[in-house]
Amino acid sequence: MAIVAQETKFARIFWPVLAWIVALIFFFPIFWLVLTSFKTDADAVKPEYLIMFQPTLENYLNMTENYDYWRFALNSVITSVFATVFTLFVGVPCAYAMAFNPSRHTKDVLMWMLSTKMLPAAAVLYPMTFLTKNFLGIFDTHFLIILVLSLINLPIVIWMLFTYFKEIPKEIIEAGKMDGVSTWGEIRDILLPLAWGGVASTALLCFIFCWNEAYWTVRLTTTEAATLSKLIEGNRAPEGLFFGRLSAVSTAAVGPIIVLGWFCQKQLVQGLTFGAVK
Amino acid sequence: MQDRSLARLLQTPAVVLLLIWMLVPLGMTLFFSFIRYVLTSLRRPEWTTPSLDNWRGLGNYQFVWNNDGFWLAIYNSVLMVGSILVLTVVLGLAIAVLINRAFPGRGIVRVLLISPFFVMPAVNAVLWINMILDPVLGLQGLAVAGMNEMIDGLRTFPLLGGFFSLWPDLEPISFRATQTSAYAVIMMVTWQWTPFAVLIFMTSLQSEDQQQKEAAILDGANAWSRFRNLTLPHLGRPIAIVIMIQAIFHLSLYAEIEIVSRGNGNKNLPYLIGEFASNNIGAASATGIYAVILANIIAIFLLRMVGKTLMD
Repeated sequence: MAIVAQETKFARIFWPVLAWIVALIFFFPIFWLVLTSFKTDADAVKPEYLIMFQPTLENYLNMTENYDYWRFALNSVITSVFATVFTLFVGVPCAYAMAFNPSRHTKDVLMWMLSTKMLPAAAVLYPMTFLTKNFLGIFDTHFLIILVLSLINLPIVIWMLFTYFKEIPKEIIEAGKMDGVSTWGEIRDILLPLAWGGVASTALLCFIFCWNEAYWTVRLTTTEAATLSKLIEGNRAPEGLFFGRLSAVSTAAVGPIIVLGWFCQKQLVQGLTFGAVK
Repeated sequence: MQDRSLARLLQTPAVVLLLIWMLVPLGMTLFFSFIRYVLTSLRRPEWTTPSLDNWRGLGNYQFVWNNDGFWLAIYNSVLMVGSILVLTVVLGLAIAVLINRAFPGRGIVRVLLISPFFVMPAVNAVLWINMILDPVLGLQGLAVAGMNEMIDGLRTFPLLGGFFSLWPDLEPISFRATQTSAYAVIMMVTWQWTPFAVLIFMTSLQSEDQQQKEAAILDGANAWSRFRNLTLPHLGRPIAIVIMIQAIFHLSLYAEIEIVSRGNGNKNLPYLIGEFASNNIGAASATGIYAVILANIIAIFLLRMVGKTLMD
């Protein structure tokens, strides 16, 4: 195109190079974490082994012994998966009704839902601990963590789904109605296939938020349902100690999510608009 | 779907769940904030059970209001959320524009750029405060030590050495200290959330009207005025959304503050509440209600900004 040709040769080289430099700077801390995880604890703090060192798998092999990694990882997987499923299970019908049968209150309801996210978690931490420990007896259970993770993500999930569903022409859904399809059938056979990309990126984002949640998961658990967030926060080393093994367990805690994010980045890039793109 | 009552029925589970989630704990917090309630007290054991007999009225609110830590916590909350928002939006815009063109390896650049967003806050904080910012063993300490060594070497040079001997030794900054720990938190959270802003802005940039842009180029508009008059208005709504979602998350920052300095110098409202809650539940609850009020003031602005165009 003529327009592109107007760019000077300098600009054609300079901007991509700058983009690469920025990207490498942003990725560097993660690279450094992974690199450090292959050093022994002693080597990790020696300047002479900064880049050249004898790589070792020791930190990863001792991860179970040092940190009981797999128990926490399993808890993270269980709570994040079930919370995501449950959130979608409650959120999809709600967003569906809001998008295809809006009333004059729909906007207010949506805004109210979002405003519950503004409620500072710390303000209600003590009552939550009190209730779950003394009355309900569900403190430090998977059930509680799944429930809390679902509740804190529900507003954003409904909002995202609503913005996707709204883009689907009403006529398509109504055509299904004429054919006598049940509501559940409409959602399953017409809505979900059409909004698949949006639902997938919503689920992905919900899963990431669940996995990374670090307030409730730390404070409403002790041992049974403790997740990786709790493991890392509880084991942060005093200055300079155990950089190697700490890096290894940290890498193992964020690795699965980063790789998942890489695989799904197309969905995220296209889907994560929150209705900002018309 | 024509049926009104069916529509209501489908929304009921979500609404009821959120209503319980909001009202029950908040109601309890409200109650606790008006009574004397501590976890351990040898002198007044009756205060250790929540009861209407220990009514204190607005006493807890007064106690918190007159507490210096409270105002410092509000200042820190606003400072950190504000700085992070400005930094992520500005950086996010710049980076989104930068990669909104075809160039070799764009896909990889995108993957590298969005990676920090997937890192969990606890790991983020551990990584930055130890491996990167530590004044002795982190990269910062090593870099400063290396620079000092280099300058030291230059001092032995004839002639030039005299010049370099005037240079002072560099001091590494301790980011766990009172004056700097808030900056450490701002730095690490900005690193994590800039990719989120980039993601959202990038998607909206792709939907920008290219013909309009080309027309502007033909009219002789320079790059800055094209960005200012075409791109920025187009990004108004995405910017509002990025600000709102981030405000939601950053008003309740906790893990980073705990890991960086255990609240030394960077204590925000949630952290202060946590400290009170280790014994004085009454004060913690009153602080919680203050936090709810602050969040609501902010929420009204943000929700209005986003809500305006939600239904079109």
